[in-house]
Amino acid sequence: MGIFEKRSKPLFLFSSVQNKKIVTCKSCKKKVKKMSAENKPIREIVTPGQVIATDPGLIAGRGAIKEDNGQITSVFVGLKEIRGKYVNVVPLNGLYNPQIGDKVIGRVIAKTPVKFLLDINAKFLGILKPSDAFKRPHQNRGYPKSMGTYRLPRENDMDKLKMGDQIICKILSGSRTEEPALTSLGQELGLITEGLVIAISPTKIPRVIGKKGSMIALLKNLLHCKIFVAQNGRIWIHGRNPENERLLIEVIYKIEREAHTTGLTDRVKAYILKEKKIRGIK
Amino acid sequence: MMDINEVVSNLEKNYILKLLKQGKRIDGRGLFEYRDVKIKTGFIPKAEGSADVFLGDTRVMCGVKYDIGTPFSDNPDKGVCTVMSEYLPIASPMFEPGRPDEVAIQLARVVDRGIRHTNCIDYKKLCIKEGEYVYILFVDCYMMDYFGNLTDASAIAAIAALLNTNLPGAKLNEEGVPEWDGTYSPLTIYEIPLSISFGKVGNVIFVDPNLSEEMVLDGSIAFAVDEKKQVTSIQKYGNATWSVEEILDTSKKAIEIADELRAKLNLRQHVPQPK
Amino acid sequence: MPILVPEPHDEICFREDGKRLDGRAVDELRPFSCEVGVIKNAQGSALVRHGGNLIYAAIYGPREVHPRHLARPDKGILRVYYRMATFSVHERKSPAPNRRENEISKVIREALEPVLFLEAYPDSQIEIYIEVIAADGGTRCASTTAASLALADAGIPMKSMVVGVAAGKAQGRVLLDLGDKEDKVGQADIPCVVVMKDKSISLLQFDGEMSLEEMKTGFEYVLKGAEIIYQKQLEALREKYNKITREAEIEDSAVGNLPQNEQKSINESQNAQDSLQNTSQIDEQMKVQNEKQEINNDHKAEPSPLMENSSAINESQKEVEKGEVEEKSKDEKSSEENIIKSSEQSANSTDDSPKQGENQSSQEEQQLNTENDSPSGDDQE
Repeated sequence: MGIFEKRSKPLFLFSSVQNKKIVTCKSCKKKVKKMSAENKPIREIVTPGQVIATDPGLIAGRGAIKEDNGQITSVFVGLKEIRGKYVNVVPLNGLYNPQIGDKVIGRVIAKTPVKFLLDINAKFLGILKPSDAFKRPHQNRGYPKSMGTYRLPRENDMDKLKMGDQIICKILSGSRTEEPALTSLGQELGLITEGLVIAISPTKIPRVIGKKGSMIALLKNLLHCKIFVAQNGRIWIHGRNPENERLLIEVIYKIEREAHTTGLTDRVKAYILKEKKIRGIK
Repeated sequence: MMDINEVVSNLEKNYILKLLKQGKRIDGRGLFEYRDVKIKTGFIPKAEGSADVFLGDTRVMCGVKYDIGTPFSDNPDKGVCTVMSEYLPIASPMFEPGRPDEVAIQLARVVDRGIRHTNCIDYKKLCIKEGEYVYILFVDCYMMDYFGNLTDASAIAAIAALLNTNLPGAKLNEEGVPEWDGTYSPLTIYEIPLSISFGKVGNVIFVDPNLSEEMVLDGSIAFAVDEKKQVTSIQKYGNATWSVEEILDTSKKAIEIADELRAKLNLRQHVPQPK
Repeated sequence: MPILVPEPHDEICFREDGKRLDGRAVDELRPFSCEVGVIKNAQGSALVRHGGNLIYAAIYGPREVHPRHLARPDKGILRVYYRMATFSVHERKSPAPNRRENEISKVIREALEPVLFLEAYPDSQIEIYIEVIAADGGTRCASTTAASLALADAGIPMKSMVVGVAAGKAQGRVLLDLGDKEDKVGQADIPCVVVMKDKSISLLQFDGEMSLEEMKTGFEYVLKGAEIIYQKQLEALREKYNKITREAEIEDSAVGNLPQNEQKSINESQNAQDSLQNTSQIDEQMKVQNEKQEINNDHKAEPSPLMENSSAINESQKEVEKGEVEEKSKDEKSSEENIIKSSEQSANSTDDSPKQGENQSSQEEQQLNTENDSPSGDDQE
């Protein structure tokens, strides 16, 4: 699952976009506006044990179970959605379930002689081995290949990360019963050295990203800041000044709070404009 | 909500430090700005007095119960007031169930000293029979939600609960054993002590640290201030060292802030009507 | 030396008009109200007011088991801590947990275990902390009601809500929901916890004297009372979100008044450069994105919560990962640069969107494979 398909898709490249800047931006803006303005049906909030479907043709999807009598019941407090044959319940609160390939922000909370243990807001700690955390200098440099692989000493690797350091990682492997293995090698990954990491409920993360990234784009545009939304409910932010960051944090909490409502993008936009005016933030 | 973990994030620490050096706080307050305080009293029917205090998002509940016991031999004509605290595990993922640890005991003792050394309660009125029967007041502070500065919140909760207390009156019967005389009356409280805590990071001092600040600060100091504008007790926590000037300056600030807070809270409104 | 004021206990539980002392009919509940999300630090929390009871419950977890030896490899463990505040009862209770509290913790745990999917959390624990701030009879029932609410609020999968309510007998009459006084005077007390889905009983204690006929009436009352409490539970769970929705609607109506020119000015702000970049990125994503995704996917349905553990895949992933690192980030020397760069590229928004599409396309296969693939650990069997 995961990584192969993701790689096979054309990777977005920064340079290629700059060429079609003006043409695309107009159409995009329209699309964004249209999306947020369209009236979404208000989805019903269901509760654990509630019968959400009795039609025998339907299949219990995520967050739902099928009873012996054919009724489908919810296991969460969440929003019911029927997609094709599947009845799903999207939980409104919950813990983060690690998925292979997810990008998460972890915090080093323990070290052993050979690995770092990272709190990734899941029920298990993530394991980051130095070999997955630091790029090796080129091996064999200056030696003929026949001399075999020359391994550089790595004893100081464990000192490169301190307790309490926050790292953007990707989940390499793991299962329900196994601690997830992480890597911090790769694009966008690595140690965070500036800004701030805030935490929200992981179930609200899709809303902070918004449909096709609309919310994140809105925040970046209006508040001139850098944001990285990790799947485990942590968000790295770095703004121009503390006032901007402060407003951004408040807005993110507002999105978290109102994640189940409709018309969120418009409301957030209006809120940011209003607050910027009040606080005199450019 | 910041991530709560025993291991402090270096990023957060640097960020808070950077802001403090500019005279700013992570929640937008000024260095010497106190969070909002909300108080609800008298909501526990079986407690003699009760208070539910919100200091920002920090929440402390306090209940007063009494017992009749023998006085200490050095104060045979005085009642006893004991403050205890419980760090309930519901309040934070960092708190664990079990006996109160040294942090909880320290907090209880700091609040206790604040009340004791201001002479706020008329202990002599708590004596039923000298040397034999006195009221023993138990002030139990329960931490309900931990978002920093439990000391100040507990001090407010404790004094509000004591003010809210309606104690049954006692008389001695023929056998010389105390008996209910059918009345209830509030405690006689002369002074309202308040605790004001300051945090210190580097050489920046600020009042009322919130949770994320409390996680990263080097040390803090709590002053109990009475209504006569006197500092009655000080407790220094943490590893930071304080110069004499800093302590004196901070004391002055504590007195100012306590005065302001006392006027704003108007704690005497929570005194119950005698029955 | 005990407290001066004796606890009032009359031998009489009924008024002259046949009603109970607080004016209730025999099958009537005490006033009940509940609320969720009352403790901000907790994963989930609830407050229950039932008669004079005031009970808080909070959930932490699932998290690592401490001490480690309690962990079970096949299922998660549930730990319930039922505690009474020292000031919750007439005579001050010692702060240390006593035998009664430990017993009630156990029966509450056993009442909740049947509705949870503990198999889905091996090697971890869910902690429920229950704090009785004011007690007025029937605390174990009200505590279970609160715990059930808190679990639902925390987003822990449950088969059903549970409701605790007691029946009993006083002065020869079967009563629903005994108060403190009736409990002390009465002849019998049956605290029950009802699993609302199938109306089965998951906590049952009984002490006293009661005929089977009376017991039957008692259970009828319990089921009737449980239904009322259940409706209030559901209302509380929905109200947490409906309240926000209502506030949002009010805010929305205010937004309509926003002057149009103000919105324009933002679009043409001096920082248009940034916005151009960002928005154009979105457009790019759209193209990249799977066209199938017509359906509103705002709340991205969580992919199957269980990670597939195939070592072959993991290894090959690693290889791909490393190979790519070599190629792409040769010039990225410091991690700081790395991060700045990543953020400029609006990393996650680009990252997320293809993923959503992928979920969408592969969803059907996924679900066919694991037909009942809920996080409930059904696939355990």
